[in-house]
Amino acid sequence: MNAPDRYERFVVPEGTKKVSYERDTKIINAASFTIEREEHTIGNIIRMQLHRDENVLFAGYKLPHPLQYKIIVRIHTTSQSSPMQAYNQAINDLDRELDHLKNAFEAEMVKFSRDY
Amino acid sequence: MEGQSYARMPRVKIRELRDDYARFELRDTDASIANALRRVMIAEVPTIAIDLVEIEVNSSVLNDEFIAHRLGLIPLTSDRAMSMRFSRDCDACDGDGQCEFCSVEFHLMAVCRNDETQDVTSSDLISSDHTVVPVDYSESAASIDASDGISGNKKGGITIVKLRKGQEVKLRAIARKGIGKDHAKWSPAATVTFMYEPEIHINEDLMESLTLEEKKEWVESSPTPVFEIDQVTQQVMVVDAEAYTYDDEVIKKAEAMGKPGLVEINAKQDSFIFTVETTGAIKASQLLLNAIEILKQKLDAVRLSEDTVEADDQFGELGAHMRGG
Repeated sequence: MNAPDRYERFVVPEGTKKVSYERDTKIINAASFTIEREEHTIGNIIRMQLHRDENVLFAGYKLPHPLQYKIIVRIHTTSQSSPMQAYNQAINDLDRELDHLKNAFEAEMVKFSRDY
Repeated sequence: MEGQSYARMPRVKIRELRDDYARFELRDTDASIANALRRVMIAEVPTIAIDLVEIEVNSSVLNDEFIAHRLGLIPLTSDRAMSMRFSRDCDACDGDGQCEFCSVEFHLMAVCRNDETQDVTSSDLISSDHTVVPVDYSESAASIDASDGISGNKKGGITIVKLRKGQEVKLRAIARKGIGKDHAKWSPAATVTFMYEPEIHINEDLMESLTLEEKKEWVESSPTPVFEIDQVTQQVMVVDAEAYTYDDEVIKKAEAMGKPGLVEINAKQDSFIFTVETTGAIKASQLLLNAIEILKQKLDAVRLSEDTVEADDQFGELGAHMRGG
């Protein structure tokens, strides 16, 4: 009866930003990114990629509530970097990894169909 | 501004590849990527499925919504899905099924005129688009028939409803693009699993201190066939490391026999073995490629927008000013 529409889970409402950024008021080089309509899939890969960055002191994500379709990614970096820089780089690196994976799988498919 | 890259270069090795099944190794990456791929394959790779049904005549034993639900669950060939539009994003139409960009129309007309029961199946559905049709399982069904001797219905196809003499079903259905997150009928995946590759080391010295009887007892303590005793040398060997289910039974057994450390088993944190099975809507290999593409699109969508960066730059200057910079 009053169940929310199913598409609410993955369609960003009009007038809402996909990603919003909020600096920490007390700690320098710390910030939170609120990502609308995303969940563990994106949150966890970004977190793990950030952990590979040696300038990142802390990176974590949370899904605050199962009925609030958003995640919060929190990043704290050294003064050599900034949360925004680390965030952008994590996305670029993941994008590159997936590009490589796609090429590797396509090459392997060609090899597989030839060999077997 | 651009720092050094922390991107990894994963490796892939295909073990088995059929239209609806794939088994491959993924190495040099971590569980987050493996799990993201699994989640995207199950819930976010789009397919086409019946979403709207207009029933004109239904005198069958099943009620209208029962039939509509069954129609929705029929897998349709969805190679076009990636390039199609979601009907909610389609501005060329109002989602009435006449739009070539976002929907496909189906018709079903069946009347039983004989004394025998008539099966209405997915192969009775008439599609308006020859690229989007119910998945044909007759080939795979034929191989099952041959091996098991089980006879399916001769026509093939998925049974929707059975009619007796005089009963009739007549309807129009509209199939749309969708994702598994919305409704499981849109999921192209039957199963997607991955496991860590196990690394098994037997302590040979300790193993040789066991008698043949003890070795047999230990090998048999594993619920899955991981180890075997060589007939000639009577040594315990690993025959199928991947059969190990991380159940710890052999480790507990070794301890119970007073031989802790007899075997050491580690899950390699950067190697995964994937099993992908599809419903037939798309090929298993295509499912992985589409999943990578979708994941890339998702990453692109979560990039910071220009105005967010600008707003922060101003804030940064203000902050620096306040700190006396």
